[in-house]
Amino acid sequence: MNRRALVSLLILGVALLLLPLFANSYLLSVATLILFFAFAGQAWNVMMGFCGQLSLGHSLYVGVGAYVAAGLFVHLGIGPWAGVWLAVALCVALGCTIGFLAFRFGISGVYFALLTIAFAEFTRIGFDHLQWTGGPGGLFLKVAQRDTIDIANFRGPPAMYYYAILALAAGALALCSWLLKSRAGFYWQAIRENEEAAQALGINTFRWKMLAVAISSAMTAVAGVFYAFYYNNLFPEQIFHISRSIEIILGPIIGGVGTLFGPILGAVVLTVLADGITELLAAVGVEVPGIKQVFYGIVLLMVIMFLPNGIWPTLARKLGLVHAEGGK
Amino acid sequence: MANHTDSPSGHDMRRRNLVKAVGAGAALAGFPAIVRAQSTKLKVGVILPRSGVQGLIGQSCQIGADIAPALIKDMLGVDIELMNADWETNVDVARTRAERLIQEGAHVLVGPFDSGAASAIAQVAEQKGVPFVINIAAAPPITEQGYKFVFRNFPTAIDLTVNGLALIGDLFRATNVAPRSAVFMHVNDTFGQAMNRGIGATLPRLTQLPFKIVDTISYDPAAKDLSVEVSKAKASKADFLLLVCRLNDAIILRREIVKQRWNIMGMISPGSPGIYEDQFQKALGKLSENCISNNPWYNPKTAMTAAVIKQMAKQFPKEKLHSHGANVSYTFESILIAADAFKRARTTNPKELADAIRQTNLTDRVSLGGPIKFNAKGQVEGNLSAALINKDGRPQVMLPASAAETKPVFPWPDYKA
Repeated sequence: MNRRALVSLLILGVALLLLPLFANSYLLSVATLILFFAFAGQAWNVMMGFCGQLSLGHSLYVGVGAYVAAGLFVHLGIGPWAGVWLAVALCVALGCTIGFLAFRFGISGVYFALLTIAFAEFTRIGFDHLQWTGGPGGLFLKVAQRDTIDIANFRGPPAMYYYAILALAAGALALCSWLLKSRAGFYWQAIRENEEAAQALGINTFRWKMLAVAISSAMTAVAGVFYAFYYNNLFPEQIFHISRSIEIILGPIIGGVGTLFGPILGAVVLTVLADGITELLAAVGVEVPGIKQVFYGIVLLMVIMFLPNGIWPTLARKLGLVHAEGGK
Repeated sequence: MANHTDSPSGHDMRRRNLVKAVGAGAALAGFPAIVRAQSTKLKVGVILPRSGVQGLIGQSCQIGADIAPALIKDMLGVDIELMNADWETNVDVARTRAERLIQEGAHVLVGPFDSGAASAIAQVAEQKGVPFVINIAAAPPITEQGYKFVFRNFPTAIDLTVNGLALIGDLFRATNVAPRSAVFMHVNDTFGQAMNRGIGATLPRLTQLPFKIVDTISYDPAAKDLSVEVSKAKASKADFLLLVCRLNDAIILRREIVKQRWNIMGMISPGSPGIYEDQFQKALGKLSENCISNNPWYNPKTAMTAAVIKQMAKQFPKEKLHSHGANVSYTFESILIAADAFKRARTTNPKELADAIRQTNLTDRVSLGGPIKFNAKGQVEGNLSAALINKDGRPQVMLPASAAETKPVFPWPDYKA
């Protein structure tokens, strides 16, 4: 990262910190959503972008993380600060189980992706039958109109959630930046590029892939906890659905898989695009249901066709934020 | 697909933008409360899933919203401006759309045909102090949260199950038959599982029902063949089929009953889609006749229903109320509730509007049930279901007797005892 990039990042950070002072509640809610997807996308990027392991079932960790923290809060009165540890532990255990099954028995590529979908799907079915979490009827967290911040129970006004997810997204960026420069980061990239070659060089690919899965699932579990306390209601049909996984991975894919800022840029582009199209269509008086999705699909198609590596690498080069050889 | 001829024109949109701009200017000048309170028009933010998985249902509900302004102007003399938003069957979008509608000046929110979305919107409404009238969403916890600005005119899931099962008892009494056994078949998805549990918990308490469930069979919602399941159900020798289904499986199942010459008294749904839908009748023709489903529905005998049908014929000539049932009736009523409260409160001040909604007492209505009155939790009690029978290619009300369009028929005419 060069000096210009550092200054840009600093300006962006300050702007994001000051946003609640100027933004209305709608913009704040959109910004919260962007940061949520940036954070969850960053988590997925560790596994796929850095280590090359395609997961299409990250909704599993969002869901389990959300349900564990919410269930503990609703039924046992255990606050999210304690619940998040159990949520993370459980998701890491789940991730490692999937990872062990796949990596130990040589399941990779599309078959690994199918395995992750299968786990998400049968967990959804399991939660449909779990009465402790409300089954298909959903789990609802008690909500009260709040203007004051209750940090202990993570309840408060929208600005509190915004700052919380901003902190998480910033933390994830810092963590991923550090990971990429660490030994793990280099090993992951070696595995991503050519696993056999990495193995031949003496890298214990099983061990490092398991680490990627563990970190990714832990981060996604935290996203799940945030989701539960922000939305205050959970339904297995929604939170474990494959569309949730797709939402998480679209950001990094559009932004740039394997890059640090790709997931953030992707989340911004996708959310702004979705809301922008809605606003544009409303402004011109078009009220045809589903037309937005058509436009949205066309734009995504064009991005994938003309910028197959994502938007960030090209944009970063054009803005002079990185050296010509990399787009991290 | 609904024909939204009543959607705001470009001219209306420009005018709305101008109003927004004036409103925003006034807000900046420090008079937001006054601007809201002095409005002579009620701005209703209608938030429905008009695209995505629930798109067709959302568009069906939208008809109920689109007919409301003209009809309510005639009935109450209240001017209504609809501000439509599509939540795309995505809860995240539901929340941001609700924020946006409030930002644009909606005085009240109506929607959204889904419990998850209703819960997300409810939080925004509560946070902003804007009344939110839920048209359709059945999860009981929504009105158990102690919200002050959230109101629901729709039966909870528990009420739906109890109403649906109680109507089966009424049907047996009305037709003077007492089947001793039923086989319960249900679609194995979230909805089917929830109904299965609800029926399991409710049935033992309804001692007036003469039958027992002798077997429970679940099946895949995407099943292309239900011959094995129907064979198993037939082997149970149950008197009738209690069915929780969706559309496609209901069609396959009815065909399979005929193929296997399963001689049963009838098939009754205690509350699920499928049987009363247009497509069921179109696909099955005569075979769809006399199939029964108990669902929230409109009362075909009220003057307001007649007015709704007339307005629909004017705005949506190709659409019939029986093709949209509760979607139209409950969505229309939600806007009616808001308009009635606005008329009494004479202000769009959110708190006073919410207080007025709380005092609602509408005896003339479209949907089946007692007067629209909210309890302390913001829930209307006494909403009823109808026992619907497919007859002459459309669902007709058999029970309650006061709303009946046709006589109760059970068992099937070709049943051989």
